[in-house]
Amino acid sequence: MNDPQNAKDLEAEGNIGRPLAWMAFAGLGTVFTAGAIVGVIAASKEDGSAFSATAIGIIAVFVAVIGALLYAQWRLARRIAASGGELTRRERLNRNIMIACAVMGGIIGLALSIVGGAMPSEPLAIFSDSPLPIALAILLAVFWGVVMPVIAWFWHTRAIDEQEAHAYRDGGYYAAYAYLVGAPAWWFLWRGGVLPEPDGVAIFATFAIIWTTVWYWKKYR
Amino acid sequence: MENRLRVLRAERQWSQAELGERLDVSRQAVNAIETGKYDPSLPLAFKIARLFGMSIEEIFDDGFDGDTHE
Repeated sequence: MNDPQNAKDLEAEGNIGRPLAWMAFAGLGTVFTAGAIVGVIAASKEDGSAFSATAIGIIAVFVAVIGALLYAQWRLARRIAASGGELTRRERLNRNIMIACAVMGGIIGLALSIVGGAMPSEPLAIFSDSPLPIALAILLAVFWGVVMPVIAWFWHTRAIDEQEAHAYRDGGYYAAYAYLVGAPAWWFLWRGGVLPEPDGVAIFATFAIIWTTVWYWKKYR
Repeated sequence: MENRLRVLRAERQWSQAELGERLDVSRQAVNAIETGKYDPSLPLAFKIARLFGMSIEEIFDDGFDGDTHE
């Protein structure tokens, strides 16, 4: 129970935006550092020789960085959990959906990286437009076109509250205007020979990033 | 829009989570309303007013002081 007289505590309640952002950055840092370790190992294997002292040193540093990032995430998670009391029903549901999505995304990402590693042209790399095996293409399309909308519908109708819905709508407005302004401008500049041909994936990624950034800012500011 | 939500909640010694649970919203929503960063919808404003046994005008203040029937 919070002390109602403690204005400082009350001020701190519920302001979880900043620790949540740091947690996301630490999570991304963990993934990228793990990727760097895989890169160092792959480079060492390509040499055909045993791991050099330098490679081992670099890997050790990266492992230490991952340890520090995981510790930071644990501390931040505790701080978020302690803010403003227990999670409400909607927050628990929201969190569980996010965890389920992250696990599904992780499994798909892992499967794709394994499948992609066996392919010569790296068709699964971001921004790649190389052909995909038909089964994989259908699988990805079904996930993106059927499974994700069902999860999104459930999330919108059951998990989020009106404040988050409002933040999400604002994000949609900003992203839609960025698209309506940016995509044709790029197209005109391409036709004028100023820019390279418009890239659908880059436009999609920009749209998604703007939407997510505004949603986050509006929800947690 | 200014409001008395934080004071009313503190008087009842509710955490933001407890109030959020009663209103079926998140702690972040309670915090955003209390700090004036988000104005609740009319249905949620009525829900808040009913919870505290007050009128909406007793909790929320839009700063308007004049006569609406000029």
